[in-house]
Amino acid sequence: MKLKKLVSLLLVAAMTVSLAACGSGNDKKTSSGDENGTTEEGSVDKDALVIWTITNDQKTQAEKWAEETGNKVDVTVIESGDYPTKLQAALGGGSKDVDVIVGEPQMLEDFFDAGFFEDLDQAPYNAQDYAGQIVDYVWEVGQDSDGVQRAISYQITPAGIYYRRDIAQNVFGTDDPVEIGKLFADYDTVLQTAQTLKEAGYRCFASDGEITYFSGQSAWVIDGVLNVDQARYDYMDLCVELYQQDLTAYASQWSTPWYQAMSGPVPVLTAEDNAWSEDFAEETADRDTTEVFAFGLPSWGVLTLRDNVGDTSGKWGVCSGPAYGFGGGTYLGISTFSEKKDLAWDFIKWCTLNEETADWWIEDSEGDTVSLVSALEKHADDENAVYGGQKLYQFWQEQAAGIDYSKVTRYDKQIGDAWGTAISKIKTGEMTKDEAIAEFYDTVEATFPGEVTVNRD
Amino acid sequence: MANVSEKKKKRNYNNMAYLFVLPFVVVFLIFSVYPVLRTLFLSFHNYRGFGEMTPAGIDNYKRVLTDKFFWRTLGNTIRIWGVNIVLQLGLAFLLTIVFSDIKYKVRGLAIYRAVYYLPNLIACTSVAFLFKTLLDWRFGTFNQIISTIYKFFGATYNPVNWLGQASTAGNTIAVISAWMWFGNSFIMLMAGVQGISKDYFEAAAIDGAGRWTVFGKITLPLLKPILLYVAVTSLIGGLQMFDLPFLMLGKTDAAYSSIQTVVMYMYKFGFETGTTQLGYASAIAYVLFFIILVVSLIQFKFFGSKED
Repeated sequence: MKLKKLVSLLLVAAMTVSLAACGSGNDKKTSSGDENGTTEEGSVDKDALVIWTITNDQKTQAEKWAEETGNKVDVTVIESGDYPTKLQAALGGGSKDVDVIVGEPQMLEDFFDAGFFEDLDQAPYNAQDYAGQIVDYVWEVGQDSDGVQRAISYQITPAGIYYRRDIAQNVFGTDDPVEIGKLFADYDTVLQTAQTLKEAGYRCFASDGEITYFSGQSAWVIDGVLNVDQARYDYMDLCVELYQQDLTAYASQWSTPWYQAMSGPVPVLTAEDNAWSEDFAEETADRDTTEVFAFGLPSWGVLTLRDNVGDTSGKWGVCSGPAYGFGGGTYLGISTFSEKKDLAWDFIKWCTLNEETADWWIEDSEGDTVSLVSALEKHADDENAVYGGQKLYQFWQEQAAGIDYSKVTRYDKQIGDAWGTAISKIKTGEMTKDEAIAEFYDTVEATFPGEVTVNRD
Repeated sequence: MANVSEKKKKRNYNNMAYLFVLPFVVVFLIFSVYPVLRTLFLSFHNYRGFGEMTPAGIDNYKRVLTDKFFWRTLGNTIRIWGVNIVLQLGLAFLLTIVFSDIKYKVRGLAIYRAVYYLPNLIACTSVAFLFKTLLDWRFGTFNQIISTIYKFFGATYNPVNWLGQASTAGNTIAVISAWMWFGNSFIMLMAGVQGISKDYFEAAAIDGAGRWTVFGKITLPLLKPILLYVAVTSLIGGLQMFDLPFLMLGKTDAAYSSIQTVVMYMYKFGFETGTTQLGYASAIAYVLFFIILVVSLIQFKFFGSKED
């Protein structure tokens, strides 16, 4: 009988343990491995610096940092869509387990308001002492609404137009980035350039979303009021024209045909083309070898194109777009609840303010654009072979100088998506322009009632 | 004295049962009861997931009831579910009729059952990716096959943008969903048929009842409890539709507003960066819960009254 009781108790204990196990550890997606002080997969060393991030960059950086300093690090990479929820759940409950946290620009305002990011202006950090060392707009992105520094990024992400030098030479008689930049100076000129390219047998863009990073002259929301500036409407018209006049290759951004367009000819169809008709080949004989001229991407696109351009490597160039814009960027900060704040600050300083790290990162990432001004200046004359020997670091620094961060608000993603939906509905004929804009206003009103006032034009 | 001690022992032994159910009760309270109550609590507050939580009274519920986008998403959900359930149950029913027919005597039921059930075993993400590729407007295999058939008959096919226009996107998703779930309904209906005593069918055959008479007078009435179960579970699952439409279209696609379901709308306010309004998301969850409850009760009433 006693044995029976003992067995029963053991079974209950085993079940409790297994249930408890179910509730922990399932988010441990990545943990740096190693001999260099980083902790073992799945385990968290009490002395280790715990980093929760959204990119593998911090994993690479943490490994190098651990190797250099002998500190232990535990890095968890969380999918960016889940990151805010995960961080809110942990830090909202005052968890002391995380030391270094990150955020993308559109997440930061919420995180700062929530008090998750430590004030870096106070001692012993005194971040303002380093103000001039980081590119201005990146420094500003890391500040809360009161101007307190709370996060710093190791990279800059200004946007540019990546174009094919050989096509430029062929159609426009020059491949000089400054001259080509003039062909993208404003939306009207972009449309004109696209038409010229179509007449020459090319397509200007693979998709109609290539100008996204250069859209808008002012913030979506100013003082709690929805602000749809003229540039937004012009951008809407441009996208619709590009689509309806067959000025793109109809490839959706990030789709396989979109990547294929970087390396050479892609099948090009018009809205009316019937790809499966018997006469299709004949009808599109002059178009089936069409090549795409340009892509609009932030500086990290340097790596995207490098990996996808294939035989067109060396034939690319980068020029400015119709406005200054940027996209993405990972900002590092210290969790307010961390018990290893000094160590966390050491790591952040090492990633962002150390010139040796910047040199190593440029080499290791094979071309990421760092935010440390001295490193950018040091590498200003570096030539990039994929882009015809263009001095990209110089170019990105110039573009970054023009970025107006005051345009960024916490509403950008949702309002931008609603505007994108309106554009899609107009270009595909689902709605008229007036109907789509009215629905856009309704969407913003229903999404942010009492928070964003909508004054319909 | 010995009797008292034996009783005590027995009582102690009975008390051990509480220990055995304790893990379940603890897990149930933490993972089921607490979230339900917490969601109810949140629905009466304004809360962005951090910072200050302020009481909102019934404002969030008022907002749900007057939000045209909520009603539109409910309409989308019902429309997609409606097409899906007709196809799903219709196909499952048809197969049940074929496989339960004593005259056909179809062999290999186990194999058919397994094959029909297979789509249900594939992860929804894989199904979404597969059909997105197959249904591609420009280069999808589906349009290519239809075009070949048209060509065979000397006609020209104008490719349909299945997922790109409001008129087809919802129905396309409903068909894919029906494809995924008809095997499940078929298994349940067949289990119901196999549970009916063979005596009824033999007696009907002796009396000279025809195939449709047997189905209408014996199979269908005796299948009613299973049908009710399938209908209620399908409705609950259908009104909570999320993964397939969420994965198949992007937010800026022209047809997105025609396939956005209630749960996708709730997700927007519960989890997406920039729109996190947990109070409103919780209110949507409760309104959806009440809608499901009411419709389920109507279903029970409808089927129950006939049973009586």
